[in-house]
Parts: sequence; C-alpha cells; structure tokens
Amino acid sequence: MRSAKAISRVVIAVVLIVVILIVGVVGYYLASPPATVKETLLMGTTDSVESCLDPARAYDFFGFEIIQSLGSPLVEYKPGATGAASDIQPALANTWSSSSDGLTWTFNLRQGVFYDDGSEFTADSVKYTFDRGIQIADPDGAWVGIGIDGIINSVEVVSKYVVKFNLKIPFAAFLSLIAGQECYIVDPKYAPKAGDAWSVNDVVVYQDGNPRGSNPMGLGPYTLANWTRVAGKDTAMRLEANPRYWGNSSGLPKTKTIVVNFYTSGSGLALAMTAGDVDIAFRQLATTDINNMKTNANLKVWEAAGPFIQYLCMQQKNAPFNNVNIRKAVAAAINRTALVQTVFQGDAQPLYSMIPTGMMGNTNAFQSVGDPNYTLTQELLGAEGYSESNKFTFTLWYETSGHYPQSQQQALVLQDSLQKSGLITVNLEGRDWAAYRTARQEEIMPAYILGWYPDYIDPDDYIQPFVSSTGGSWIHHNYASTQMDQLVEQARSSTDATARANLYTQINNLMVQDVPIIPLYMGNQFAVSKTNVQGIYLDITQNWRNWLVYAQG
Amino acid sequence: MTLRTYIISRILLTIPMIFILLTTVFVVMRVLPGDPVLLHFEKSENLEAMNRLRVALGLDQPLWLQYVNYIFGLFRGDLGKSMQDFSPVAQQVFSAFPATLELAIYSMIIAGVLGVILGVVASKSYNKPKDHIIRVFGIVTYAIPVFFLGMLFQLGFGVGLHWLPVGNRFDMSLSPPAGLNIGNLHLATGLYTIDSILEGNMFKFVTSFKYLLLPSLTLGLVLCGVFIRLTRSNMFETLRLDFVTAAKARGLKDSTVTYGYALRNAFLPVLTMMGLQFAMLLGGAVLTETTFSWPGLGSYLIARINFRDYTAIQGTVVVFGILVSIVSLIVDILYAYLDPRIRL
Repeated sequence: MRSAKAISRVVIAVVLIVVILIVGVVGYYLASPPATVKETLLMGTTDSVESCLDPARAYDFFGFEIIQSLGSPLVEYKPGATGAASDIQPALANTWSSSSDGLTWTFNLRQGVFYDDGSEFTADSVKYTFDRGIQIADPDGAWVGIGIDGIINSVEVVSKYVVKFNLKIPFAAFLSLIAGQECYIVDPKYAPKAGDAWSVNDVVVYQDGNPRGSNPMGLGPYTLANWTRVAGKDTAMRLEANPRYWGNSSGLPKTKTIVVNFYTSGSGLALAMTAGDVDIAFRQLATTDINNMKTNANLKVWEAAGPFIQYLCMQQKNAPFNNVNIRKAVAAAINRTALVQTVFQGDAQPLYSMIPTGMMGNTNAFQSVGDPNYTLTQELLGAEGYSESNKFTFTLWYETSGHYPQSQQQALVLQDSLQKSGLITVNLEGRDWAAYRTARQEEIMPAYILGWYPDYIDPDDYIQPFVSSTGGSWIHHNYASTQMDQLVEQARSSTDATARANLYTQINNLMVQDVPIIPLYMGNQFAVSKTNVQGIYLDITQNWRNWLVYAQG
Repeated sequence: MTLRTYIISRILLTIPMIFILLTTVFVVMRVLPGDPVLLHFEKSENLEAMNRLRVALGLDQPLWLQYVNYIFGLFRGDLGKSMQDFSPVAQQVFSAFPATLELAIYSMIIAGVLGVILGVVASKSYNKPKDHIIRVFGIVTYAIPVFFLGMLFQLGFGVGLHWLPVGNRFDMSLSPPAGLNIGNLHLATGLYTIDSILEGNMFKFVTSFKYLLLPSLTLGLVLCGVFIRLTRSNMFETLRLDFVTAAKARGLKDSTVTYGYALRNAFLPVLTMMGLQFAMLLGGAVLTETTFSWPGLGSYLIARINFRDYTAIQGTVVVFGILVSIVSLIVDILYAYLDPRIRL
C-alpha cells in the first residue's frame, strides 16, 4: 500500500502538470500575435462615377459612395439606421437645435477639424458649401433635383464654430436632408469660384492624372490617390487613409487602402468575386448570381432591406385611367407576392404603401384592396361594362436596358397576375431607357413601371415627389388633388412626430381611395465578400461606409 | 495601273465609304426614339434649362445643318463634344482605342496562326480522323457565341483554376505600364504589353499578358474557324498541283514543300479573308470587351448607345470605319504586291 505522502506527491505533480498545461495554453494564445487587418481591400463594382465627384453636380449612387469616403457632413446616419430621427448622430456638428417654428436650425461645430491640406474647417466652410450648391444650381445635380433652394433661405455664420440655417418652410426632414452626400462640406481651396457669380462652370470635374484636383472634398476618412477614367468611365480608383481625418482617434478608417476594380456587367463581377479576384462585390449583382453565391462556403452574402422601390404609374389625363374605378380594379388584380417570388426569388418584399415597410408612415394601406382580390376587380370592371367577352385591354410599358432590375420579367408577371382576373387583357411594350424616358415625357404610355431611390431618408421623399401636384409633375401621370396637396404640405412641415404619423396615415388612405400610383415592391440590397471581411453595414440609408470595412489578414 | 495609282484609288474609294457609313449612323440615331437632352433631367424638367442645353449641344438646329456642321468638324479632325459628359469625343475615343487595338491585334494573331496551322494539318490528313476533329473544332468555334465561350474560359481558368483574372485590363493596385521615359523623351503606345517592355518591367508585362490572354483567346478562337476551313481547302487544292509534285519529286523535305511552296500559294485567299474578318473582329471585340470588362471602344459604344450620345456613337463608328478601311487597304496592297495580276 502506498503511503499517504507518496499519494500527495502524485496529486501535487498532477496539479502542477495541469497548471503548467493551462498556463501554457493560455500563454500561447495570449502571446500569439493578434490577427492582423489587411492593409488593402479590393472592391469590385459595376458602377462608375456618372458625372463627377463634386457634390454640386453628382447625383448617382457610386459618385455619392465615393464622396462619402472623401468628405464629411454636418450630421450622419448611424450604421444600421432604419430612417428614424434618433438614427442621426453628430459628424462635423457636435450639437444642434431648431426654433419652435422649425424655420431656424443652429449647429455647433466640432473644433480642431482640418482638411487633408491642413486648413481648418469652420462655420465659413459650411456657408461656402451651401451657398455654392444652391447658386451653382446645376440642372444635372441633386440640389436642383431635390429643390434645396426651395427649402433653405440662407446660411449665417454666427461665430467661428456656430452656423445657422434659415429655412423658407418648416421642413421636418431637414436633418435627413443635410446628411445627404450633396450636402457634404467642400474645401474652398479645391472648389474655387472663377467669376463674380457661381456658375455650372465652377463644378469640379475629372482631371486626368490629378486626383486631388478632381474632387473638392478633404474632410473624409480617405483621400483620392488615383482615379483613372477611360472614355468617360472609371477604370481604376484607389483610396488612401486621410491622416488628418477627424475620426482617426476612433481608429477610423479601419483599412488603409481601398482599390476599386470596375466590371462592365453583374455576371462579370460575380465571376470575379467567385474567382477571388476581389474581396468585396458591391453593386450590381443579379438575383441568380447572389443565390448561387449564398451556397458558396468561401463567400459571405450581406443582405438588408433597401430603400429602392418600384411602382406602377397610370396616365390619368385620358381614358381609361382617368377613371378611378379602373385604376382601383388594376390595383386589386396585382399579385405582389408572385412578383417578388418569381422575379426576385424572395430577395425583395411586397410593398403596400409608397413608404417602405419599417419606416414611419408606412401603413400597408394597399393591402385593403387585395393582393390580389379578383372579386373586387371583377365587381369594379363589371360596373364599368366590362365582361369576359368584352375585356378591359391596356398596354403596359416597361424598360429594357437594365435601368431597373429584371423589368421584362416584372412586366410578364404583372401581365399574368392581371389577366388571371379574367376581365383584363394586358399587352406589353418594351423600350430602352432613352426611348422610355421620351415616351414618359410625351405621355404616350397608358401604364408604365418606374423605380425610385430616395434623395433623403424620410417618408416625405416617398410621397411628395409622387402625389403632390407640383412635386410629382416629373412622373407625367397627371394626378392632382387639392386635398392630397394640403396633406403632403402639412406632413412635410410638421415638427410633431405623432402628428406626422397621423398625416401619413391619411395620405395612405387617400392614395387607396384615388389610386394615383400603385406601389409594387421594395428591393433588398446585397454585398458579397470573402468570409474574412467584417464591418459591412447595409441599411435603408443606402450609405456604403468604406471606413468601417476591414478584413483579417 | 501602277501600285501607286492603285493605292491612291483605293484611298479615294475609302472616303465615300466612310461618308455613307456616317450618314447612315447619323440618320438612324436621330430617327430612333430618345433624346440625349431629356436624359440629363430626371426629376427637374425645367424647359428653359433643357432648351439651353439643346442650344449648347447644337441640337436646336435643323438636321441638315447639324449634319453639315458635323462633316465640316470632321474635316478639321473635330469629332464634337459628348452629349453625355460634354468632353471632346476625339479625346475619349482615342483614350479607349489602344485597349481595343491591343485586343484586336492579339486576337488576329491567335486566329491567324491557329487557323493556318490547323488548316494545313487538316489538309495533310484529308478525310482522316485528324481532319475530322479539326473540322469539327473549326465549326464549333465559329458557331459558338463570343460571350458564351468567354464565360466558359472565365469559369475554367478564373473561377476553377485561379490561373487568370476574369476581367479588366490590368491589376488596379499597380500603376499601368508607363512606356519609355528617358529625359524628355516619352514614348507610350497605350498597348500595355508593348509599354511594359518599353518600361523594361517584366512583371508588368506578365501581368498585362495575363489580363489579355483570356479575351484575346476567346476572340481569336471564334475567328479561327474561317481560317481553318479556308486554309484547309486551299492547301488541299495546292498540294495536288504539279509544282508540288515536282518539288516532292526533286526530293525536297516534306515540311519545305508544305510550308515553303504550297502554303505560300494557298495563303493569298487567307490574307484577303483576314482583311474581311477585321470588321467582324471589331464587332466581336464589342461583345468580348463587355464580357471581360475590357475598357475599350466596344464598351464605350454600348454605354453611349444607351444614352443616345449621338456624337460619341458617330465618332466611334468613324474610327471603326477608318480602321477597317486601313486594314483592308493594307491587305489589298499586300495582295497586289504578292500577286501582280491584281494591278492589271
């Protein structure tokens, strides 16, 4: 029999071994170098800067995406934002307040912020930016497109770090508006005024071999180190971390260099992503490619509800769509579930209000008409004298050059859904975007499908441009209602959130009553990356935050 | 007719050809529905601003005056301003041209060399399995759509084997080949493979070649079918002619007879076909460029048609027309040089 002493020795030895093992294992992990972050990320896209990188003219997705990396706004949306007012956070402005009538907004600016060239950002920079954007009034740009000169009256420098905006109208979505890329602050040194007055000739455009001179920004997380265009399209772009970025103390940007690779088609981009030629593929990938990539273990698909919507317009100047019963009969015969399942394989959501699901003001009002409700369609058309032997016939137009996703398939599904009512015959007519655009202007299309990316994240931007008699004139559907105009004006100028929500409920109900336009679906947005990529935030703001993206090396 | 007068008459014939082409494009573009001015105004259809832009682009003038102005501009070497981004079209066309030229040259080399070699081999093994295989290969590559073959290569060599990039012209994280720079002397062709050699940078040469390989192989293979069939049938005829039999009888080596004697004779029609195929090559280049995201004139043309950028489309067509004329002229001259009967 072994002595107690011997047993205790064994126990001590075992304990020692276990302790040594634990210390060794823990020490190994603690002593191991932390996973490094890759210095360079390769982005792939089918986009290209449409016109330039000057917020006074740029009005395209990719132009905005790059402006966002090169500049900063006064306020910005948090990553993962849903469009709520509480999602807005400080950027170049630390704090802000508005007057009780909603006509004056005062911003206290962040101090000690410098442009990449070393000059200081002050209230003068803000005034310069807004005066410039409004006075250049480029017809191609967002300032004119949104009608910012109809909202902002003047910008005053109160002190070096305090700036005041005087508005022409109380505008509920003001913070959302100035978070937009067109309102990003420019560097006066790189955005000079040539003559006495601002003109479109002052817009900063691409200069071959001079990336710094090709953009007027300088307050953002990145600087533009290379930008090459061949025949008006981007072929190479490199972003380098800005050493003077005000967010550097927070460890931003996370990746030092971003190199953008350009592809001419979604299938080309999908192949490049699958082959590993790029780390991230962002815009535009076809639904089938995305679904294929979802099953690829080497890739990660990032998906979120997007701000993009599509809707059906009807020409209300002439018969048959000047008759509200006919419009309602069509609305009742649309099967949105079939649309999103068949065309987008579930990568989109049915839309029952012009305001996207999840945003303040959405009430799914069109669900009350049906999805589809063929009985209602038959009742309404029957009352108008249509029958199985005398069907209501109209032509649905759609776009064919890829301006909107899978338009022809959408038109086919809509045709099928409408014809299943038994009382409707739909003829289809396709045109490329240029011809479609002319047809819209000439008001020769009885029914046509359009799409929308918002200018600012607020229900106002999903309502006013479509049903207000002034804001909606560009659609050429010829809908005008005094009651609707009044509701829209009240909703956009109210400073009370509850009152606004009530007003949008009334607007949605009136839309179901008048059927000026029929919401169809809201699209999801996608990015695909290698599995080591982190920090991608897709949200309803459609912002792409390069400075948060990184990959473990 | 001397060779010189022949060349001059051929050049003079080129001018009306370009005019007919240009006039057709000019009229067709304007007959098509679509308005380049309207496309600048998505939400703000301000009539005053639209008219201002129309005047600035010269679109307010009668059609005949627009045409005359364009033609006069053309004589001065001015291709007008783009209706999409208002930049000079000549500058844009010539910035995209080297990419298309490089793709065209390498594709033609691949098509020509592969087509002639396989054609000779097939003719030597007439009606044997080797001949059948080559014929089927020629028919398949001729019939296969460019974008489909391109996609197969992308899937095989890019996605599957990871040997070659699936698109673009160069590694975007590197600076493109700069060409030769000695003091004030700067020589760059815009052809990346040549410029990287001029720069003396072998790494860039290999990189640019890697990017070029799949697009040029795709286009080259699609075009080589014609050369295979033509070489095969010509060689088949030539190999049975008396002078070949005589050469063989003198005990000359088989390869000398085939390549030194027979092929030289059989090559003339192939050369003509190369000239004719050049127009097809440019058409194919448009699709190849789109498939491989190759930033050349084809990609430019497609993008601008969607925008109804009249001047850009006209400029590209003029350059394509001139290019085809030059190549067919060179082929004709070579032909005339090789076969003096042409000049009679």
